Order: sequence, then structure tokens, then C-alpha cells
Amino acid sequence: MSTMSKTCIISGASRGIGRSIAIALSNRQDITNFIIVSRTEDGLQETAQLMNPTKNVVYYAMDLTDYEAVQELIETVGERYGSIDYLLNVAGYAEPKSLLETSVENWEMTYKVNVHSIFFLTKEVVRFMKKTGGKILNVASTAGSSPRPGWLAYSSSKAAIISMSQTLSDELSEYGILVYCISPGRCATELRRALAPDEDQSTIMQPEHVAEIVDNLLSDNGICLDGQDITVRKQMTKVSSSK
Amino acid sequence: MGNVSCILLSGGIGTRMKLATPKQFLLVGGKPLLVHVLERIDTIEEINEIIIPSPKDYMKHTEEVLNNFGFSTPIRCIEGGATRQESVCKGLLEVSNEQSIIHEAVRPFVTREEFVELIQNQDEAAIFGLDIPFTVLGGNDYIEENLERNYLINVQLPQRFPTEKLLAAHLNATSKGLSFTDDASLYFDFYKSRVKVIKGSEYNLKITNPIDRNIAEVIYKEYILGGNGNVYNV
Repeated sequence: MSTMSKTCIISGASRGIGRSIAIALSNRQDITNFIIVSRTEDGLQETAQLMNPTKNVVYYAMDLTDYEAVQELIETVGERYGSIDYLLNVAGYAEPKSLLETSVENWEMTYKVNVHSIFFLTKEVVRFMKKTGGKILNVASTAGSSPRPGWLAYSSSKAAIISMSQTLSDELSEYGILVYCISPGRCATELRRALAPDEDQSTIMQPEHVAEIVDNLLSDNGICLDGQDITVRKQMTKVSSSK
Repeated sequence: MGNVSCILLSGGIGTRMKLATPKQFLLVGGKPLLVHVLERIDTIEEINEIIIPSPKDYMKHTEEVLNNFGFSTPIRCIEGGATRQESVCKGLLEVSNEQSIIHEAVRPFVTREEFVELIQNQDEAAIFGLDIPFTVLGGNDYIEENLERNYLINVQLPQRFPTEKLLAAHLNATSKGLSFTDDASLYFDFYKSRVKVIKGSEYNLKITNPIDRNIAEVIYKEYILGGNGNVYNV
């Protein structure tokens, strides 16, 4: 992992945490090629414009729950750039409902986006990454490790991501692949705004804060933090009142 | 030395492990035993051909495993023989290089460096072997003879031979109905020529009995991931 022309794939990069991560990482010296992926072309285009213009940024608007499409994408990327050094699985989906209101379609979509897409991407990327080593970072959630009534599909899918990360960290270690898992708490994203419309988003953690942590984890600072569920959250501080 | 072929024996059907899954497909460190060896061989430039004799019923599964892990070295899966000896012989008939390495999937912890040492050794034929640290006696139900421990070798794989000469020795053994448990003894019996014994490693475990799988997990974590055998130390 010492070359300076690395290739990085980021899913869910059209908005929120994924976009902030893409922007932050584009200022790193070691990564030259960025492949940013999500369903929304407009969002990806906007993200690409916000990234460091000296970098090679390619975006693909696609359905990450389509295994064949993922296979095709990764094969194209692997063959074009020779190696895939970073994979960041950020794409996520949430439609929180109580158990009795959760439709089968909701359940399946949540798992397809949050769990299956990570499996698809990781499986295909590792076919290339195992030759050179690399780093994989999965974005789970604090909902994956504590009860969230009304969020059954989402929270259990995030628990799956935590477990997948821990298992893959062990399984892929022989290839020099480090697997990270972060679990952000409340974060000022569009998704969060839809779920908590009354919240003052300026008081909670911003996507840029998460991106900064990710940037650190993927640097040499993060070498002892792989294989763990790392909670990323902003402590609420009491506003001091002046006399 | 030029290019070398590797015959990787993968012919188990799991009898001694008392398992429905043949040993070569058992997971250690999360991946099949067969894959452990292939991933190391795949990094050795001199080995440009791998032949895997496999039980007929497991050929398809073997090919699926090979495809899933995506190796660079050309690998051919062939139908193995009824015995280990026959499988090696069938493999030798497929080999295109002058030198062949014989190895087995159930010895997953041979390092890249050990393979390279075997290839670079200048003797006509070379094997890995270890001293025997315990007493060995001749006999079955009763002791029939004392054996000189210092003179005995715990024979390991991988082993390297000139392909044509090993094949000739095999064909001779087959025609005379002679059976051997490994190729060094078969080769030596036929030629009586020098076979170099390179000092092997205690970590080169042959996974035979159920308890070996537990030992293998420890070796994998402490020895392979510990850095000694990890060829992906990036």
C-alpha cells in the first residue's frame, strides 16, 4: 500500500456521508482514481464537481442490488486501473416502520441495499484487492448495536454490516486487507432530515465530521482500528449561559 | 532452473476425518485447504502449470472453488486415480515441464520460501523431511525390531523430481504391481539415486485426523498470519 496512484471505489457517494467522504478523500495524495457510485446521476455529478479537480473521478449511476451489474463494474475498474486499493461501502436505505407496518418489500429493499450490495461489491473487489492488499470501510450505524423500536429492518441490517466487517477483517487479513466498520450516530443528512424533520441539524454531527474520521482511519493512523465497530458521534454539550 | 509444473493432489474423500466433505474443501482460516496452497503457488513465477487430480465426483466443485478465488497460474483439474500413486501418475502424463513438484492440498502451510528453496535446489531430486523426535519400532501387535531413530526421516511434501524419470519409475511400479505411499520412496526404489532431503518445518502439518483441523487453525493464526508464511504482507 505504498504506491501513490491508488484506486478508490465509494458507494452511496451522491449525497450525505458518502459525498463528504468522496470530497475529503479526493484531497489525499495517495489516491488518483475515484469511482463513485450510487443510483442518482445528478447527485454523483454534483459530488464529482465538489471533489479535487486534479483527480480522475468517474461516476456510475447504477443499482447496486443488481449483482451482474456490480460484477461488470468491478471487472471494468479492476482491468482498467490494475488494482483496487480502497472500497468504501456507504450506500444505505432506511424506511423505518414498526414491525406490523413493515412490508415484505420494505424489508427486502432494506436488506438488498444495506447488506446485499456490500456483499456483492466486497466479493468482486476482493478478487482484485487480494493481489495487492487494501482497505475496506463499511458504514454501519449505532442502530446496529442497540435497540431501535420502529427501525427493525434498518437496525438489524446495520447489525449485519457490523458482523460482516468483523468476520471479513479476520478472513481477509492474510491478503493484507484491513476491514473497518464505523457506526455513525445522529448525522445531518437528507435521510435524517426526512426522518426527524423538526430537528435542528446544525446541532448534530455533520457528514464532514464522519468523513474526517474515515480519512484518518484510512491513513496510517488507522492501522490498529480495523475489525472493530467504531462509533462515531458528536457529544451533545451544554450551552453555557452568560450571567 | 526453468519452469516447473506442480501436481497438487486433491483426491481425498474424507474417510479418516469422518466427514461428508473431503478434506481439501474444509475451511481453515475461512477458506478451503486447497486454496491455501494454491494462493502461495500462484505467487511463484517458476511454477507455470498446476495439475489437480481430483475425485470424479468432486471435479466440478473443485473447478468452482478455483474460479471463485481467481488464480493467475493455468490450472487443469483432471480425474484422479483409484489410489494416490495412480493420481500422481495420471498427473505426470499431463505435465509439460521437465521438472515437477508433487504436493498435496492437505498440507496447507508450506511457505512460498519453501517452494522456492525446493525449486532452486541443485540436486536431481529433492524433498522436505524432518528428524523424528520420538521412538519408532518395527512390528505390529508385538515389537519385531528396533529402529535407529537418527537414521529415520519423517518425509514431507512438497517434493521435486525430473518429470520423465519420475514417470518412468511410476510406470515401472504400475507394471510390477508395486505400491508406495509417496514418490520419494518410489523414485529411490527404482533408481537408488540421491534424493536430497531439505530440512522441513514442523508447521508443514498434514491434516489427516479431526484434531489436526484444530491444530491447523492455531498454526494459521500464529504462523501464517503471524508473518512467517504470509506472502501478502503489504
